[in-house]
Amino acid sequence: MANTIYIRLRHKFKAALNDCIKIGKMANVIAPRDMKNVICDLDVYKIRPEDNKFVVIDAMDVIQAIHERYPDCDIQTVGPQQTIIEVESEKKGPRTVLFLLVWVLLFIGAGLTIMNFHEDVAMSSVHQKIYFLITGRENAKPLILQIPYSLGVGIGMILFFNHIFKKRFNEEPSPLEVEMFNYQQDLDQYIILQENKKAEAKRHGDG
Amino acid sequence: MVMDDVLLIIVGFSGGLAVGCGFVAFLTVLGIIPRLTQLTKTYDAIRKYEWSVILGVLASTWFGLRYSSFSLPGFLLIPIGLAAGMFVGMLAAALTEVLNVFPILAKRLGINEKILLLMMALVLGKVLGSFFHWTYFIDQ
Repeated sequence: MANTIYIRLRHKFKAALNDCIKIGKMANVIAPRDMKNVICDLDVYKIRPEDNKFVVIDAMDVIQAIHERYPDCDIQTVGPQQTIIEVESEKKGPRTVLFLLVWVLLFIGAGLTIMNFHEDVAMSSVHQKIYFLITGRENAKPLILQIPYSLGVGIGMILFFNHIFKKRFNEEPSPLEVEMFNYQQDLDQYIILQENKKAEAKRHGDG
Repeated sequence: MVMDDVLLIIVGFSGGLAVGCGFVAFLTVLGIIPRLTQLTKTYDAIRKYEWSVILGVLASTWFGLRYSSFSLPGFLLIPIGLAAGMFVGMLAAALTEVLNVFPILAKRLGINEKILLLMMALVLGKVLGSFFHWTYFIDQ
């Protein structure tokens, strides 16, 4: 009787310290009903304090656990080959102060860089030149050009990040959201590789 | 004499070619035009936008180098300034994005939901920095 068991690991989830991770929690399982309940209840891993922030569980670990219980079953994995478990540490204090610091940092930094940019590209003389080009008069401080310009800088940035018109205009993700997603993806990939390497080293050390 | 002129033409043409290529490459890397077509849903007009950029560059190169003047009323400077500012703002935003500042910052601080506020810091900083520059700093 070659029962086939299909498992699909979840990509990522959170668990607390000292949790016992059961297969049912970290994977979708398709199997005959009586077996499925048993399989979902199998322990794969217990989170220990020395695991730090991430634990990666390989599909092989899951297969091993099932295999021990049902040696003559055919196990098929679908989808991701690893699951990342994010270990939730104790609640951290409010991040408000840190947030405000970053806010001020960005605010001042942004102001400084735009001024640097203006000096760097001699924006002031360009503005004077445009003023002369249009009106035929000289003006050392063409504020009629520079005030709309300053407002435009802000509008352009907001437009680029698509925040004001998000609801009204466009359901496509903003570049920032795509960027966040890509970054997270890269991070996950890195964690999987690193944790695998560590686990490998440990196994060799034991043997 | 003729040799000098020929040489100058070659140098000028080569310089212009290099600058033009660099300009287009820079615009392409930052992806401002695709972003604008995406916002306005005018994907098929992208060729026309290309021409708009080329003509804009050509016109301002010519008039900028020739010190021409049109003696037009001053209020025309308001839309020009606004457009110039928006373009620079988009450049700045695109540069921030290319450098991956926000994802890293938000991840490090664990403040994904407040990223809009962080962005406002950047935008307000740019606007007020620019105001400060033109109204006060420039007199110093």
